[in-house]
Amino acid sequence: MTQNDPALLSAALAGAERALNQTIALTPTSHQELEALSGTLLGIDITSLDLTLFIDIINGTEIALLAHCERRPDAFVRGTVEDFAALVASDDPAATLINSGIELEGSSSKLITLQQIVSKMDVDWEAPLVDALGDVMGHQLAQALRAMLRWSESARASLKRQLSEYLLEEGKLTPPKTELEHFYDSVQSLSLRVERAQSQVAKLLARAASNRTRQ
Amino acid sequence: MSDDATPTADREENTTDFGFTRVARDAKAGMVRGVFDSVASRYDLMNDLMSGGIHRLWKRFTIELSAARPGQTVLDIAGGTGDLAARFSRLVGPEGKVILADINAAMLEVGRDRLIDKGATGNIEVVQADAQALPFEDNSIDCITIAFGLRNVTDKDMALRSMLRVLRPGGRLLVLEFSKPTSPLLGKVYDQYSFQILPAMGRLIAQDADSYRYLAESIRKHPDQETLLDMMRDAGFAECQYHNMTGGIVAVHRGLKA
Repeated sequence: MTQNDPALLSAALAGAERALNQTIALTPTSHQELEALSGTLLGIDITSLDLTLFIDIINGTEIALLAHCERRPDAFVRGTVEDFAALVASDDPAATLINSGIELEGSSSKLITLQQIVSKMDVDWEAPLVDALGDVMGHQLAQALRAMLRWSESARASLKRQLSEYLLEEGKLTPPKTELEHFYDSVQSLSLRVERAQSQVAKLLARAASNRTRQ
Repeated sequence: MSDDATPTADREENTTDFGFTRVARDAKAGMVRGVFDSVASRYDLMNDLMSGGIHRLWKRFTIELSAARPGQTVLDIAGGTGDLAARFSRLVGPEGKVILADINAAMLEVGRDRLIDKGATGNIEVVQADAQALPFEDNSIDCITIAFGLRNVTDKDMALRSMLRVLRPGGRLLVLEFSKPTSPLLGKVYDQYSFQILPAMGRLIAQDADSYRYLAESIRKHPDQETLLDMMRDAGFAECQYHNMTGGIVAVHRGLKA
């Protein structure tokens, strides 16, 4: 009767919920702020994925992610994946909410508060690894993960730089930024001059027409 | 009707499915008990291995569909090892109540021990009960769940009517059960898995291939999605609907008491 497989969504939500609750457990400063939102239910409709999910803030230390909920949410937001990614990463969620394509029903303040709590969470991922694997293995694995993360960040930056250089210098496929900006300025200036000339011509034509009427 | 049709019909009337074999109706409960006595101690481990842990996700979604709230009374029939009951216990809170019911004493014993180990005891009652004749007052339960249990019940229609009787008006029944895969290709893979791999796993892990062969056979004999939906409507449930999960291998049916 339903199109999406609830088991798949449950799998994703169960994993995300576990990670989120572990993060909360490791961020004691968030407990009091989350406690203030206790009992809040937020609904999220990701239109580009045809997916609806709910965030239920049970108490200061536990959040549930649900695929199905029959309670009326305090706030319900609708948008694309890109819209929500921008909101999560935003320094000014209120402005992002207004300026993005996100539609909001209900209270925006609870949504903004939750976004701010989540964005402030700075997690020491080594602690749960040490708990699970012991001091030596946990620390070694955390080191390896940190090194891998650093490498992937530097590799991404390096790839971006090299790709940019290739497109500009070797392939001559894109113009340099300054050249492009100069080109845009020239186009804008030309567009203004054409507009001015157009209005001059219109003015001259109007004057000629009125002269003809007088004669 | 021909003369010789009557004895056949009588035989049909007095027998029921036990996997792919027909057995006397009053013998089925005992035979099912034998299967679950045999698998009780390793039931959760086998469920994890057989489903790759997906049964936890099926149950998670069923709990979401229950919409159970603090203060409510939830009855988990065929609750066996108590994993649904433990989660309901948290949802209904100290002012609510969860009744863990199963016809099989061995499964209940494992379930009760597990719940005690998890610290889920204050609001849980354990009752040995037959789903066909539930020993509860009329209109006394807010939500009933039966997960992977209905197919083992001898008279499913009678069990559904019994569940309707004890539900409060507005209460809901959720039946989580193996069903019919929606894709023929998945169906073939699933058949191979059920009749070749499942009994082999049962033999290796629980030293009991026959019980797991019965489980596979009983799944095939269980009504498909639409048939069960009709059975729930016939029993008197309103607003009946179902959600297929994992390509229809499992479906969760929901019906309300008007």
